[in-house]
Amino acid sequence: MTSLATKQNLLDAGGYVYNIDREVYFNRSAKKIFSVDFLEDHEGPEIEQSINEKTDAREWRFYFNSPPSESVKRQVVESLG
Amino acid sequence: MAEARRTEDRLREEYFQLLPEIRRVAGQLQAQINYCLLPIANALEAHEQLIVKSRVKDCESAVNALRRRSGEGKSFDDDQPSRYSLANLNDLAGLRILVFPRRRILEVDRALRETFGSWIADPVESEGQVLAWKYHGYCSASERVRGEYQIVSMLTGLFWEVEHSAIYKPAPRLRSVARSLAMQQRSKEVFEALKAFEDEFESLIHFKTPPG
Repeated sequence: MTSLATKQNLLDAGGYVYNIDREVYFNRSAKKIFSVDFLEDHEGPEIEQSINEKTDAREWRFYFNSPPSESVKRQVVESLG
Repeated sequence: MAEARRTEDRLREEYFQLLPEIRRVAGQLQAQINYCLLPIANALEAHEQLIVKSRVKDCESAVNALRRRSGEGKSFDDDQPSRYSLANLNDLAGLRILVFPRRRILEVDRALRETFGSWIADPVESEGQVLAWKYHGYCSASERVRGEYQIVSMLTGLFWEVEHSAIYKPAPRLRSVARSLAMQQRSKEVFEALKAFEDEFESLIHFKTPPG
C-alpha cells in the first residue's frame, strides 16, 4: 500500500496544490484536478500515471472516483479562482 | 451561485424544523448511555476515567457537513436539490464516550451493544487502525433524526477536542485542511504517539511492583 507521504511527494513533484474548500489537489498549468477520495483509493503508480498523462490542457480534467456532474465541475473550477 | 444559496437556505430551514427532535434524541441517548455504563463507572479504579459528552450539531456545521459528505468536489449538485436532507446526517445528535485507559474500551463497547445492538457500526480508522468505535441508528425519541455515539480513547478524544476548538470551531472552512494527505500523515503520527504513551503507561501500571 502506498503511504500518504509517498502520494504527497508525487503531488508535490508534479506541482499540485491543495484546495481546502473542495478537498482537491490541482495544477493550473496541467489543468488537472484530483479529489482526495481518488488519491486515497488509488495506489502510487496509478496516481503517477495520471499525473503524467498527456492532455491538451484546454479543458480541466477531473480525476474523481465517480464522474462529477457539470454543476459540481463548474463550482470546483470557480472555487480555484 | 444563487442556486447554491437556495440549497443551503432550504437546509437551514430544515434544521430548525428538526431541532426539537435533535435535542430530544441527544437527551435520551445521554440518559440511556449513562445508565448502561453505570456498572462500569462504579467499578473504575482511581486512575481510570469514563466521561460521556453529548452535543447537538449546530446549523452551519450541519450544512457544511452535508456539503462535505455530498461527494467528491464537496459541492451541492444544484441540478438535484431534493437529493439533500440534513436528516441523512448520522450525527445531528452525537455522544462521545471518552475512556482511559484504552483497555476499558472493549468493555464499554460490549455494554452498549447490549442496548444498541441494531445500530450500524462505522468505525473511525486511520490506515487500518481503529481510532474510535462509532455507531448510528434511531432511538424512540425520533423517527427522523438518527443519533450517533462513539467510544474513543480519552487521549485521542481530547486531542480531537483541542483540534476542534483551536482550529475548526472559529473557522469551520478549515476543517477540510485535515483531509489533505500531508495533514492526514501528521495526524496519524499524533495518534501513534498518543497510543505509545498510553501503552507504556498501561504496561507500567499493569506490571507495577505489588506493595510489600
